[in-house]
Amino acid sequence: MSLHIAGMGWVTPLGSGLEEVWNRLLNGESAVAKSISSPLGKDYPVFRAPAAATAQAPAHPRLRRSSAISRFAVVAGLAALADANVELDEKTAARTALIFAVSNGGVIYTKRFYHDIVESGAQAASPLLFPETVFNAPASHLAAILGINGASYTLVGDGAVGTLALKMAEDLMASDALDHCLVVGAEEADWLLCDAYHKWRLLRAAPPIEPFQKPARGMIVSEGAGALLLRRAGRVQVEKIAAGSNFQKQREAAACVDKVFAELCTTPPDIVCASANGTFIDEAERAASIAHCPKAKVYAVKGALGDSIGASSLWQTICAAQALIAGRLPAIQFASDGNGGLRSAIVSTCGLNQQVAGLRLTFSPLA
Amino acid sequence: VAVVAAGIVSPLGFGMAETLASLREGRDCVTPVTSFAVDRCRCQTAGQVLDTRLAEANESLRHPERLHRVAQMMILALKEALAQVGDFRPELTVMGTTSGGMTFGEQYYRGLKANQPPARHAATLIANYTPQKPVMDAQEAFGITAPCQVIANACASGTNAIGHAFECVRSGRYQRILAGGYDAISELVFVGFDSLQASTPDRCRPFDSERSGMVLGEGAAILALENVESAQARGATILAEVVGYGISTDNHHLTQPNPSGSGPRQAMEGALASAGIPAGEIDYINAHGTATPFNDAAEGKAIAELFNRVPISSTKGMMGHSLGAAGAIEAIISLLALQHQVLPPNINFRQGDSELDLNIVANKAQAGRVRTALSNSFGFGGTNASVIMRTHAA
Repeated sequence: MSLHIAGMGWVTPLGSGLEEVWNRLLNGESAVAKSISSPLGKDYPVFRAPAAATAQAPAHPRLRRSSAISRFAVVAGLAALADANVELDEKTAARTALIFAVSNGGVIYTKRFYHDIVESGAQAASPLLFPETVFNAPASHLAAILGINGASYTLVGDGAVGTLALKMAEDLMASDALDHCLVVGAEEADWLLCDAYHKWRLLRAAPPIEPFQKPARGMIVSEGAGALLLRRAGRVQVEKIAAGSNFQKQREAAACVDKVFAELCTTPPDIVCASANGTFIDEAERAASIAHCPKAKVYAVKGALGDSIGASSLWQTICAAQALIAGRLPAIQFASDGNGGLRSAIVSTCGLNQQVAGLRLTFSPLA
Repeated sequence: VAVVAAGIVSPLGFGMAETLASLREGRDCVTPVTSFAVDRCRCQTAGQVLDTRLAEANESLRHPERLHRVAQMMILALKEALAQVGDFRPELTVMGTTSGGMTFGEQYYRGLKANQPPARHAATLIANYTPQKPVMDAQEAFGITAPCQVIANACASGTNAIGHAFECVRSGRYQRILAGGYDAISELVFVGFDSLQASTPDRCRPFDSERSGMVLGEGAAILALENVESAQARGATILAEVVGYGISTDNHHLTQPNPSGSGPRQAMEGALASAGIPAGEIDYINAHGTATPFNDAAEGKAIAELFNRVPISSTKGMMGHSLGAAGAIEAIISLLALQHQVLPPNINFRQGDSELDLNIVANKAQAGRVRTALSNSFGFGGTNASVIMRTHAA
């Protein structure tokens, strides 16, 4: 079974147009951090998606009370369909599956809902907020807007969850009952997440994020969504997905990442789109890149966009596909004595909470 | 696709044998909630796994205090399953949950609000709060490193996990997969359902004319699935087979099913088509049956339209609704029905809904010929899932 990228869409701290954001990345731009204040008096930097990035969200009743994460998912998903020139009708929607990838989910409404319970008691809990706290609420809204009434899955995980969602899509597309699979990953930012990552000693106090720099000084939380529409033909092929494995302790991450690279680098790739984010992940990916693809150009988009966890690995995959199509990469982080064309890419994803996975893309200009 | 092992922890008991005994007795395992304040809730009961038993069963673990209690349930369920097939090395693990270790998140937030460090180290709470962590903990306890897909399709998650795993094995892409579900009661979720008035101050009475809502539950359940030929070749005991899976998405409303029952009907029809069998071959249906007016009406309508008075029960009256674990727990209940030719009871049933022509297994377990069973799970977001299992003809 051959799996290809038919369309891509994203909502990022640099905007939401596929080419617009890509060009800004090529120009070396990075997101501008805004300060987010916790009610406990601590400020954290965060990369917000600009309001304009979701301005084109449809005026659908499902989005009237939805959280930001749902709007990000809907805008990115619709953009991926538009990029592929696919308009879903009853017949095509029935042959399209939806997979939604997320890590922290609707944390803003979840926090608000629980806050009311803590402050005022159970009788203050809002029946309007609670349904939006459920992990699959964004997928439900997107399915309703698109008219998808068959397979819809929400996957939870860490920064690797987007890649695991692509693996699930590959498994689903083994069935000839499907023509398309729309994979969307999204996340929204909140001070509570920043506080948690700060206490976990993974957050940097101020920009920039410096992938692959020593010492690792930490990452910055961002928000947005990434979406890929998959089908069985196209210019960019998802040649192989390594569902990877899990690590229990940070020091075990390197061995897991190395195993994924070994599986994907049967022939040397031209690009590595790494998940490096200024934390312990970086060293694991550096070592694996040097060992398995010493001539590859290594690029880490989280330096520019921050780490949006559930959306991040789809952002990485979009960057890899865009680089293969355009034949250009934004400023790379390290390596490479190769000046050849860009025909293949590895997307490496190592999450902060145990999961490691990766995939390999190849480009066929005449497809 | 063969089921070669199973493990379960739920309010009905620890392990398959205790679960079967509870089903046969029609035990009501719903008790008052004591782990957080419920005095301002309409509903004040739930099906709960006893912490004392959990601690006793897990006393050999190195640092049980670091593990969320739902991770401890997962470890026990996996231990039971692996004891049946010690050499089972999964290529993939597919599990369902809705909130994982949510209570650790609650502790963390309460610690913040009190402006003092929580009782446990904050980083430990954060690391173990994530919904996928209980699966990782369970795998680590037995040296399993298979990649994990953790499905959060609300209350259909467990059935989705088993169904997706079934399709992965049946397609030939995988030989062996662990599938199941887990969830533990948390204040946030408990109050959430209470705020929607989906939970009841009364007993949980699925399909009863005076049903007034659900009670929550908790637990973990795991099935080891394997390609039948592979299982036979290595001489494994085959407990049953998974033969069909259907999934649908009902776009009617975020929390309410389409009253026509179209979503559940599409899922059940999909499962029958997947199994390649007519509706008449189903001998028992383990219904989603939450006892909310909306769910039971929509599900009951779909069942009545598709099936000719097949015996039906919802086992949630005995143990509550364990959300992401429910589909996996109820798949194991269906498995026990197949293995022991018993129809599990739908307790607290007084009078049938005049709108629904259903053959309810009322209040007491019955002996019955059960060769093929269908298990339903439906959830928020309009997710609907059905799996069909049957006895294995050696």
